[in-house]
Amino acid sequence: MRIVCPFCGERELGEFSYLGDAKPVRPAAGAPEDDVFDYVYLRDNIAGAMSEHWYHAGGCRAWLKITRNTLTHEISSVEPAAGAGAAEVGA
Amino acid sequence: MSSCAIPSFTIRMEGASVAEFSWPPRSPLEHALVAGAYGVREVAPGIFLTEVRNFELIQVMARRGKGAELASATTARFGMAAPDVPKAVSASDVMLIWSGPDQFLVLSKGGKYTINTLSQAFSQSASLSDQSHARAWISVSGAKARTMLAKLSSIDLHPTAFPIGAAAATSIDHTSVNLWRGDDGPDGQAVFNLLLFATFAGSLWQTMLDAGAEYGVDIRHSEEFA
Repeated sequence: MRIVCPFCGERELGEFSYLGDAKPVRPAAGAPEDDVFDYVYLRDNIAGAMSEHWYHAGGCRAWLKITRNTLTHEISSVEPAAGAGAAEVGA
Repeated sequence: MSSCAIPSFTIRMEGASVAEFSWPPRSPLEHALVAGAYGVREVAPGIFLTEVRNFELIQVMARRGKGAELASATTARFGMAAPDVPKAVSASDVMLIWSGPDQFLVLSKGGKYTINTLSQAFSQSASLSDQSHARAWISVSGAKARTMLAKLSSIDLHPTAFPIGAAAATSIDHTSVNLWRGDDGPDGQAVFNLLLFATFAGSLWQTMLDAGAEYGVDIRHSEEFA
């Protein structure tokens, strides 16, 4: 498997490390306990296109948001994660 | 260069004997590098491995939301823009090497561009980190340089894919390195440069010697700014 880093170009899988599901969003302070439990522990086991965070650890050290098909490993989109480089977080 | 503790003298402090240390800079490859020929010797060396010693290396990283400010501060300080794609640009006495989004390395010799002389120019836009003694700088050239590096790196170093001035932040032997192609040597051969973590330099040096032995390696060290 290869990933086309938006900063470095096409690189082998060994340069990247996997964080996991990019969907969970940290609940606001004071959110119900169930929401926090869901955010911390519960993950969907998706068969198909999944949004994931990957880290280009062996390269430019940018976090990436990647849409990958868990059945075929086909990658349909790669974009910098929020806050990559000097970008504002959430921008 | 790394620094090595050498007890120089002892002083008396509150009645106890306390060792003082001097910290003379020296290359992390001081012991591993043996100048001369390595590997097959019946042929002209296919690889020239040269360690460049005594350099200044400053990591510059834009602060959050300050990418544009860093770009203008860089142009004002160096008279050239820092690369915003994987490239290395150079003037006669300094090189700016892309190392990631909104960050680059300032490589120089002679003490002109140190963290002290640069900090003022970037105080509003970037965080600086002195890496001068944290990296070893290796230049690889010769007719078999690309063939040897192909054993270690997954980057395509063919001239059409990796022309003069191309740079990459990548991994060799699971170790992060900065790689860039400088100007061709006097022999017309491509020159590839590597910045290695000082503490991994000995291991990667040995890996490069193993990879290059079959082509014949000419080993030396230099004080010249490539």
